[in-house]
Amino acid sequence: MKRRKFLMVAVGGISASVSLPALLRAQTQNQVKIGILTALSGAQAIYGEQTKRGVEYFAKEVNARGGILGKPVEIIYEDSVADPATAVRKAQKLVEKDGVKFLTGLSMSSEALAISPKGPEWNSLLISNITGAGALTTTAFNRNFFRINKSAAMGARVTSLYLQDSPMKRFYGLGNDYAYGRDAVASFSKQATALGKEIVGTAFPPVGTKDYASYIIRIKESGAQGCYFALTGGDVPIFFKQALQFGLTRDVKMILETLDNKYIDQVGDAMEGTIGSTRYAYTIDTPKNQKFVAGFHAMHNVYPDYPDAVVYQGLDWLAQAIEKAGTADDLEKIITAWEDSTYEGLEGSLFMRKCDHQVVQGGYMTEAARDPKFPHLVPKILTHYSAERVTPKCRTENFD
Amino acid sequence: MWSFVVVQLLNALSLAALLFLVAAGLTLIFGILRVVNFAHGAFYMVGAYLGFTTVVLSGRFWLALLVVPPIVGLIGASLEVSTLRFIYQRSPNYQLLLTFGIGLVLEETVRVIYGANSKSVDAPSLLDGSVHLFGTPYPTYRLFLTGLGIAIALGVWLFFARTHAGLIIRAMAQNSEMANCLGTNVQRVRTLVFGASCALAAVGGVASAPMTTAYLGMSVNVVVDAFVVVVIGGLGSVVGSAAGSLIVAAAQTWGGYYISETAMILMYLVMGAILIFRPHGLFGEKE
Repeated sequence: MKRRKFLMVAVGGISASVSLPALLRAQTQNQVKIGILTALSGAQAIYGEQTKRGVEYFAKEVNARGGILGKPVEIIYEDSVADPATAVRKAQKLVEKDGVKFLTGLSMSSEALAISPKGPEWNSLLISNITGAGALTTTAFNRNFFRINKSAAMGARVTSLYLQDSPMKRFYGLGNDYAYGRDAVASFSKQATALGKEIVGTAFPPVGTKDYASYIIRIKESGAQGCYFALTGGDVPIFFKQALQFGLTRDVKMILETLDNKYIDQVGDAMEGTIGSTRYAYTIDTPKNQKFVAGFHAMHNVYPDYPDAVVYQGLDWLAQAIEKAGTADDLEKIITAWEDSTYEGLEGSLFMRKCDHQVVQGGYMTEAARDPKFPHLVPKILTHYSAERVTPKCRTENFD
Repeated sequence: MWSFVVVQLLNALSLAALLFLVAAGLTLIFGILRVVNFAHGAFYMVGAYLGFTTVVLSGRFWLALLVVPPIVGLIGASLEVSTLRFIYQRSPNYQLLLTFGIGLVLEETVRVIYGANSKSVDAPSLLDGSVHLFGTPYPTYRLFLTGLGIAIALGVWLFFARTHAGLIIRAMAQNSEMANCLGTNVQRVRTLVFGASCALAAVGGVASAPMTTAYLGMSVNVVVDAFVVVVIGGLGSVVGSAAGSLIVAAAQTWGGYYISETAMILMYLVMGAILIFRPHGLFGEKE
């Protein structure tokens, strides 16, 4: 009998030690828990690395000012590997086991589309900081989802507004074969056609294509003057390198859906002259942004890219909504407080509209250009377009 | 019209060269060690990143191509001695888990050391430009890749067909116990084959960097293609992996041109057809 008794005690002891902390946590909730679900490993880990930097900056800042509603902010990281199935599993773990109510940091639209519908059931919020698929705020919208970043359609909108005045007439659209790439190219094509421009071809190579030669030949043959491309993180430098080798960049203007720092870092000086809309640029000269860039650079020794900056804005705005609601536990109150609220963002005032939880935001067209103050190319701001022109009509991807 | 066919053919050949360097090692390791090496793509990746480091430190691409493969070969051989050696007798599941684990460890080590940004490697100045083919510029580096692939394929083939060491390895592939009885140090041959296969993958990795950059997803990316190559060409056959590489590269190149979405599907369709009509692959032997 001794053995059996030992086993029972052991089982009892182990289950108590496992479940007790969980019970205690559930009762007290003395901190505001934020789940960062992002690609920390695998091919898209660049987004996770950037998101993490922005989150670290936010956590340091918010806890230094006494937390949210006097409660310290606790960050829990999980690796989504940029895979929708893994992301759902890890999100469920964060919500059910760790008691997290606020999720952000997802790297791919496909992940966000898989998790967003679970929000009402899990009683959790999903905040998009980079995912661009239009469906998230249109056909697949639910109240537990907020998008702090510009969607792919908004990026395409800025580009087409810019091209309106350009002498270029013929364009080629290249997007990776998944929600974001297809949305961006479709939206660009629609808007460019409406401007009387011609789309001479589109192609949708799979994510992770290592040889773009065939696509480059097609673009060359099409006679396009500009090539609009919406490729995912790792694919941009590969495409660019090969486009350069085939001499494509000499004949065709390169137009990126988002002109990110990381591309400038990876591709280097060969990127000079490439234009693109941007979701955020560290060169924006508002006082708040200058302060952010300086603090961020001091902490991480790099300039913030858009995932860093937008995840920071999203969390800072969430903190504002929680404080306005006066509770970090009652999600309904927080959602209501966030809806139709205004926030002083890095590039100026932002508005979260109630009807589809898409941030109402202007847009910048930028160019990779030299700047004597920096040893590398910087995203130089060419033009700014107002929020009214850049944000689509509610629950749609239409602008006029 | 002809210019297009030639250019696409060259594109397919240069891609096939990279695939072959990985697939040949994969098929050799299976032929001699009877292990499906899931970590093989990771050696390709480690090769690319070490190549990047060598180019940054020395400024010489050729040095990277010369120095990195032996280093990766040594890493591979020492992993064989320290881990794989102990599980040859166990069920294949252990080998899958072990090699998959080694692959993950190598990939994450690379990420921790180099960070998540992809690393751009410039082609040596000799090959950095382009030549004019039918009036359009074609990257010289791709011609070099094609040449490199053909040279190494011929070298590997000659090694097996004409040398004593090649003979011993072929004997081991047929019956390792008998080879052991006839005085071959089976243990040592296994280590050497594993190391050499990893070195081949590293040649591919270094050579790929100026074309595709060194990036985090390259390991999984290439190993999936290499498995398809090996299934098409036949497990254990080096000639088969050369043929398979050409077929897969052609499918991706032409598929990508005509209907971009099918670039990957086409390759799997060929594989499916092979599995149905010739399950042991084009050049594989019936078990």
